[in-house]
Amino acid sequence: MGNRVVLKTSPAIMTQEKDAWVIQLPRFGAEGNHFHTYGLLTPYFKGLTEGKLMATKCTNAKCPIDHGKGELWLPPRADCPDCHQPMVWEQIKNPTGYIYTFTYVERGGQGLEIECPYYQIDVKIPGVATIVKSYLLDREPIKIGDKVKAGFRTGKDATYTALDLYWELI
Amino acid sequence: MIKFGAGNLRVPKWTRPVYVVAAGQSDFRKRYPEKKLEEICMMAFRMMLEENDLKKDPLDVKGLINLTVCGEFADHFQDQLLCEAKVVDYIGLDPLYNVGVKTGGATGGSAVLMGATTVASGLSDCTLVLGWERMDEVKTWTGNYYIATAACKDFETRLARNYASYYASMARRFQEMYHVDERVRAAIAVKNRGYAYMSPFAQQPGKHTIDEVLNGNIVSDPLRFLECCAMSVGSAALLLCSEEMAYQLTDNPVRLYAAGASHTLRTGDRRHMEIPLLPNESATQYEKLYQEMRINDSRWPGFESFAAARFAAWLAYRMAGVNDPLEDLDVVETHDAFTISDLQTYGDVGLRPYGQEQDFVTSGDCYVKDPKAGKPGKCPTNPSGGLLGTMHAVGATGVFQCNEVFWQIQNKYDKFHGDPGMWSRFGKKKPVDWESLQIKNAKRGLAISHAGVGSHVTCAILEKAW
Repeated sequence: MGNRVVLKTSPAIMTQEKDAWVIQLPRFGAEGNHFHTYGLLTPYFKGLTEGKLMATKCTNAKCPIDHGKGELWLPPRADCPDCHQPMVWEQIKNPTGYIYTFTYVERGGQGLEIECPYYQIDVKIPGVATIVKSYLLDREPIKIGDKVKAGFRTGKDATYTALDLYWELI
Repeated sequence: MIKFGAGNLRVPKWTRPVYVVAAGQSDFRKRYPEKKLEEICMMAFRMMLEENDLKKDPLDVKGLINLTVCGEFADHFQDQLLCEAKVVDYIGLDPLYNVGVKTGGATGGSAVLMGATTVASGLSDCTLVLGWERMDEVKTWTGNYYIATAACKDFETRLARNYASYYASMARRFQEMYHVDERVRAAIAVKNRGYAYMSPFAQQPGKHTIDEVLNGNIVSDPLRFLECCAMSVGSAALLLCSEEMAYQLTDNPVRLYAAGASHTLRTGDRRHMEIPLLPNESATQYEKLYQEMRINDSRWPGFESFAAARFAAWLAYRMAGVNDPLEDLDVVETHDAFTISDLQTYGDVGLRPYGQEQDFVTSGDCYVKDPKAGKPGKCPTNPSGGLLGTMHAVGATGVFQCNEVFWQIQNKYDKFHGDPGMWSRFGKKKPVDWESLQIKNAKRGLAISHAGVGSHVTCAILEKAW
C-alpha cells in the first residue's frame, strides 16, 4: 500500500437530461440500474470534473437570516432554506481550509470505493457556512487544525460523484 | 444561524393523558434462524399481554386494542415492504388499522410518540406499539452498506459506507474540545455491557475492562469495536391506554409524556445557534463555553452535541414538569449506539452542562452502584444494558428502552431479569453472580431514541401514576 489513498472504482455512467446530470447506480445489472439525478446541483458535480469547486449563497436582501450577505453553502443548495429564494452560484478559487475533525477509517461497508485505511476529514473553509465532509489523500498522522488544499478528479479520472473532490495536506 | 418564529416552540398539550400498562419483548440475537420475524414479534406481544399482571385475561386485553403503530427501520434488510401487514395479520389483529413509522435509529421512539398521540387525541383508547428489526439476512458489512444509506447519498454515503465513521469524527472533535480522557468512553462500554450481563434478553453481555476496550480493534478511529453496537434481531411491544382504561387494567399504570425534534442529516450543515436552555440552566452559565467556542472556531451544536436531543428534552421536560433532570429523574436510558453518542447526550438532556459531560461518568452518577464509592449513583443510565450490551434491533430499540424504564418504575426489574425461567426460555442459564439492577423507588425515568447523526430524536418520560 502506498502513501497516497487511491479509489477502487470506475467512472459512473452519466447522461445529461437537459441541464441535469443523471448518474446510473448499479443494482441488478445494466437493466436494473438506478437513474439518480443531480438536479439543480449539477453545476457542483460538473464543476468538480473541471477542477472547480462551486458553492451557493443567498443574495436576497429580504432573507430573514442572511439579509443578502449570506456565506457560501457547501454542499450547495439550489434554494435558500431561510427565505426559499434561489441561491446564486460562486466558484471558490484555489480552495484551502483546515481539518475541523477527522477519523481514520480502518474498514468501510460493502461497496466502499476508497482504499482503506484512509482519513475521512471534515474541512472548514473560510467564507463557507457549513463544514464539508470529504477524504484526504495523505496517510501520515494528522491533527485538528492541519491545513489542506482541494484536489479534483478531472477528465478521464472523473467518477461523476462527490469522490471527485479530495484534499491534500499543504 | 437558526431562528424560530413565534409559534415554532409551542409546548405540546395532549388532549388527554396517556398511560403505559404493559410491556413485552423477545430476546435479542445477532442471528435468529430458529424463528421467522412474525414469530419473534409474537413473543413480544404475548409477553406484553400475559406477563404484566393485568387485571383482565390476555385475550380480553387484546380485545381492547384499537390500532397498532409499528416501528421498522429499514425495508432493505428483509427485502420486504409492508412488513407491518404481515406482522399485524400474524398476531391476529386484522382488520384493525396499523401504521408504520420510520425515523432511522429513532424509529422505536417515534413509534412510541406517535402511538401516544393516538391515545391523547382520542383516535384510540388502547394502542399497541410494536417495534422490530431483522438484520441477519445479510452479512455485517452488507448491513453496514444498508445502514449507511441513511447518510446523505449525494455527499457523504460514499465516504465510508460505515456509519461508525460519522460518529468517530464527532468523537474526535468532542474529545479535543472538551479534553476528554478516552477511558471515560471506555468506562461507558464497560458499564453498559456489564449491565447486559444481568439481562436474559441481552445479545452482547460481557464483563470487560477499560484496558480491554481501548486495546481492542479499531472500527473507525477513535472508536473501538467494543464501543459500537451490533446488528440485531428482535421485537418489543408496549401497550398504551387512556386513563380510564389504564386503571381498569392495572393498579400500577405509568404516565407517559413524549416529544421529538429533528436536525440535518449532514453534521457539517449544522449552523451555529444559541443553546436552548433547559429549566435548570441559566443564560449566564454558558458565557465561558461561548468564549471557548469563539477561540476554537466551534459552534453549537456543531460536532459536539445534538440539537434534536436538546429540543426533544426541552419540550418533554416542560410537558412533564421536569425542572432538574439530575434530581427529578431516577433512571435514564440513552441511545448508546456508540459510546460517544451516549456521552454527548448527557449534555443534551441536562444531566451535566455542555462541556462537562464526562463528569457524569467520573463522578459515579451514571451507575446503579458506583464501583468506586460502592454507593448508588445519582441517576443511573442504561441498566437495561443499552444498545452496546443488549440490543439494537433498530425499530424495536426505542420501544425496548421504554419497556425497561416501565419495569423499573413498576419495581419489576427482578421479575423480568432475575427469574431463572426467563433465562432458560431463551436457552440461557442465569449467571451465578447475577445481581439485581432494580433502582430503589424509581418514580420517573427517561428514554432517548436517536437517529442518523442526530437527525431525529425523541424523548419519552415515564412517571409512576399510583
